[in-house]
Amino acid sequence: MAPAASGLKADRQALPWIEGTLFAVFLLMPLALEHFWVLFVTRILILGLLALSFDLVWGYVGILSFGQALLFGGAGYCAALLATKLGITSVLVLLPSAVLAGLLISFVIAAIVLFGKRSPTAVFVALGTLTGSYVVERLLRGWSYVGGQNGIPSLPRLTIGALEIEEGIRFYYLAFGLLVVIYLGLRWIVRSQFGLVLAGIREQEERLAFLGYQTQNYKGIVFCLAGMVAGLSGGLYAFHEGFVGPAQLGPVFSTQVALYSMFGGAGTLIGAVIGTSFIEAVGYNVSQYWETGWPILLGLLLLAIVSYRPGGLISLLVSEREKIGTFGGKAAATVSELTERFHEHA
Amino acid sequence: MSTDSKDEILKSHSRRLFLQRTALFSGMIALGGGSYLFNPRGAWAADPIKVGFALDLTGPISVQGLPCANVAKMLVEDINAKGGVLGRPLQMFLEDTATNETLAVTRVSKLVQKDDVDVVIGGITSSMRNAIKDTIVNRGKKLYLYPQLYEGKECTANIFCTGPTPAQQCDTFVPWLMKNTGKKFYFTGADYIWPHTLNAYAKNVVEKNGGEVVGEEYSPVDQVEYGATVHKIMANNTDVVFTTLIPPGLPVFVKQLYEAGFMKRGGRVASVLYDESTMSISSPAETEGLASCLDYFRAVEDSFSKQLFEKYTSLFGTKNPLSAAGGSTGTYRAVKLWEVAAKEAGSVARDAVATALDHAKIAEGPGGGAEIVSGTRHVRMNMYTAVAKGGKFDIVDKSNGPVAPGECLRS
Amino acid sequence: MRGLDNKLARDIVSTYRMMFYMPNRDETGKLGTADLAPFLFDITASMAIFVLAVLGLGVIASMMGIFNFAHGEFLLLGAYTVYLAQDHGVPTWLGMLAAPFVVAIIALALERTIIRRFYAAPVAAMISTFAIGLVLRESVRLLLGGQFYSVEAPLNGAFFIGDVALSKWRVVIILATIAVVTASYLALARTRLGLYVRASLENPALARASAIPTRRIYAATFAFGAALAGLAGGLMVPIYSLNADIGVPFLIKSFLAVMVGGVGSFGGSVLGASFVGAGTAGLPWAIKPVVADVLLFLVAILFVKYRPTGLLSLWRK
Repeated sequence: MAPAASGLKADRQALPWIEGTLFAVFLLMPLALEHFWVLFVTRILILGLLALSFDLVWGYVGILSFGQALLFGGAGYCAALLATKLGITSVLVLLPSAVLAGLLISFVIAAIVLFGKRSPTAVFVALGTLTGSYVVERLLRGWSYVGGQNGIPSLPRLTIGALEIEEGIRFYYLAFGLLVVIYLGLRWIVRSQFGLVLAGIREQEERLAFLGYQTQNYKGIVFCLAGMVAGLSGGLYAFHEGFVGPAQLGPVFSTQVALYSMFGGAGTLIGAVIGTSFIEAVGYNVSQYWETGWPILLGLLLLAIVSYRPGGLISLLVSEREKIGTFGGKAAATVSELTERFHEHA
Repeated sequence: MSTDSKDEILKSHSRRLFLQRTALFSGMIALGGGSYLFNPRGAWAADPIKVGFALDLTGPISVQGLPCANVAKMLVEDINAKGGVLGRPLQMFLEDTATNETLAVTRVSKLVQKDDVDVVIGGITSSMRNAIKDTIVNRGKKLYLYPQLYEGKECTANIFCTGPTPAQQCDTFVPWLMKNTGKKFYFTGADYIWPHTLNAYAKNVVEKNGGEVVGEEYSPVDQVEYGATVHKIMANNTDVVFTTLIPPGLPVFVKQLYEAGFMKRGGRVASVLYDESTMSISSPAETEGLASCLDYFRAVEDSFSKQLFEKYTSLFGTKNPLSAAGGSTGTYRAVKLWEVAAKEAGSVARDAVATALDHAKIAEGPGGGAEIVSGTRHVRMNMYTAVAKGGKFDIVDKSNGPVAPGECLRS
Repeated sequence: MRGLDNKLARDIVSTYRMMFYMPNRDETGKLGTADLAPFLFDITASMAIFVLAVLGLGVIASMMGIFNFAHGEFLLLGAYTVYLAQDHGVPTWLGMLAAPFVVAIIALALERTIIRRFYAAPVAAMISTFAIGLVLRESVRLLLGGQFYSVEAPLNGAFFIGDVALSKWRVVIILATIAVVTASYLALARTRLGLYVRASLENPALARASAIPTRRIYAATFAFGAALAGLAGGLMVPIYSLNADIGVPFLIKSFLAVMVGGVGSFGGSVLGASFVGAGTAGLPWAIKPVVADVLLFLVAILFVKYRPTGLLSLWRK
């Protein structure tokens, strides 16, 4: 069983280097940036969190959810309502409630879309969630209790005790801290035995079902987990911008998030963060020279990636094998060895 | 046209498209992400005063946003040509709010945080104003002038409204409608705060004057199917349809009313959103007889208004004309009143200017002069009622001098 | 003409059902026959619009198992063609005739260069059509300068039958839809090309073995579906003002239509589209329009979950 291709010989792990560098950069960035740019990067961090949730469901379980914005915006609205109608501003109440909202909404969506006698195809899930996103946005536009078209403006700032977390350095590190914690948590999950099952679901769901795994339950769990992450992201976003509106639940946001993740590289977690950073940063700069053309360019780039580099940007640096991971065991020398080990565990 | 070669036709088409935006953007620098900067010409001794404009340059409301931006640019150049304000030139920062509240908040925060402008003028729909006002006034701690006609009740400190209020648009308009058409009113509107509030005010006036409200309906902003509504209107023998719908639904609604024969049998549509600019979204046949009440129409007689219109048209062409329902006349008032206040205050600091603005007055403007009613942050101005005929507006009624806005009377 | 009979029958049944749930009118008493005609006309016109809009999508999805995310943008391109015609002084009806051909050519080019690669991977195909839709939508937005434009219908005004007003242009659309649906059905059922198409749909390998040029059939079908969308967009643009985003709601509604009607049969697409069209125009007579949308969506989801096997091969594994 000789190592198959030359690429596999070099056992260099690129992924941890990439992750480490990226987080180090984010850690030190605010010290060198002026206020407006700190806000800009904070936004990237928060949206990166959302993209992570998308990557979790699409890259790891094969659920093409074009409705992550429902969780994002829905949680944002819940937190905003708590803040404006009940006067709560403590971050220790609002953020967990955003997470809870994300969990509940994703549970409902999973129940409707994912569960059933037979599991749905990716096409159905994609369209079902997109449609749901569209319909809910329109519903909220007409509901005056939540502000209708206006949304809920003038949100107060988050507080810890008497300290206000204003946008800028404070909020930046709050978002950054949460991003790091969640990222590490998710990374640990997808590399564990649980993650092994997910990989199986992604690659060959039927076979796994035959082996006795309740694949739908696993998918549901992951979807709800992603829902919580998206909810947290939504809560952060709402208070960073000071405003929630129906657009934050709509298909534009939903598809934007999918773009971030697919661009960076699905199924790698860090790819989602990279994709978000890349698209937001490059987008801002490119639109200086070709303002209305940037979305066109974005579409063309996506097309190029889907056609020629489905692994996304990150596949330029990370090999396929490393992407799959080791699931808590020794590094595999070849892909076939990995598959065999998978059978052992099953 | 048929003798032109194909090349010429293509060139003239792209040229026309190019021109309508070029006139506004000529001389401006595109900063990316919907931001534009217009620098003062010539050499100046002092630092510029930064003036921020947040307007919809794209999206459904762009038909209103572009003329506002045009007026802004025209006035900034004008003021600079006459020596600026307090010896300093005006530097114009323009953000495209793109009819998208979520995007607008981000862009406006850029105006107040990154560009650090001294005043923000803009926001057209009420939902836009509500989305961005906190960013400007609370987080950004800047002065905010809102130029568009709206539903009233905006009494937040440091926000000044230079567009018509319900009292100004309904108190004489509704009785005129009842006298000249009939007493049965049907109210329609888009489902958000301005239509609801304005309709409520108008309904009050109708009932106080002995009229009858035979129906009231609100639709989602992007609804483009009004068959059911039109049918109810016809079935209830409505005389006047008072509508606060906005594009894209508004032209479709008017068209469906027309096709159902409402106008043919003597009914009238009243929409305060129709001005010379809005007319282009409907055909002249569909708007024949339509009534509107605004602070300015092209047919207004005074020479200043006519000169202003001529100057605007020579600079920007006829595609997005100066007109009142879109906020461009309000933008005029906002910029000029601010200029007067800053000169009186001797500074551009927010509190100083706000104090001076409290009683600021301009003697001339489109439709007449304007004056802020002390303590209310709203503007007293002339109002005109006009009826559409052959695609143009004829003025049928003019107010007796400036009309009080009737807002924030106890603040 | 079996196709026509079924449509008429469906009209009658759905109307009958709708009648039962109409509310009383307090001001003018019970609803009478005077209300029935405009209501029926509204519903029929809306059904026609949706059938025209969705058919193209259904055809492509049935044939190739690809849900074309750029479908709304094909509609947009058809509408844009008509606008261009108007802008250059060409009569709009010519623009409307040209629209399906223009869109078909663009679609063919896209199919040959991009979509063809993804026949084996429907999800990747979907993402690629999504990217194409994005590019098309933003290109049109660039060309339109982000603004809204109105296009005049070649026929304005209404026919009056007694007190009832029937918008002339909507009548044209109804007639056009009937013509297109009938022609398509006949082509599929009676011509040799239709035979090849049905063969390729049922058993591609056998079809290829029988010297049927399946690749060309796929390309032709994609172009045909796009042409239908272009025609729909061109005919619809006088009713809805033109802007870069008009395709999105149609994509959503098309999805609902296909969910309900099922994929894999011609009749399924027509049925689903009629349902959505009737609901979109009819429900607001009784309930708020936003609620109508939600209701349609929920009904469609329920349909998919509880409808027995057979027509749903695209949606369930």
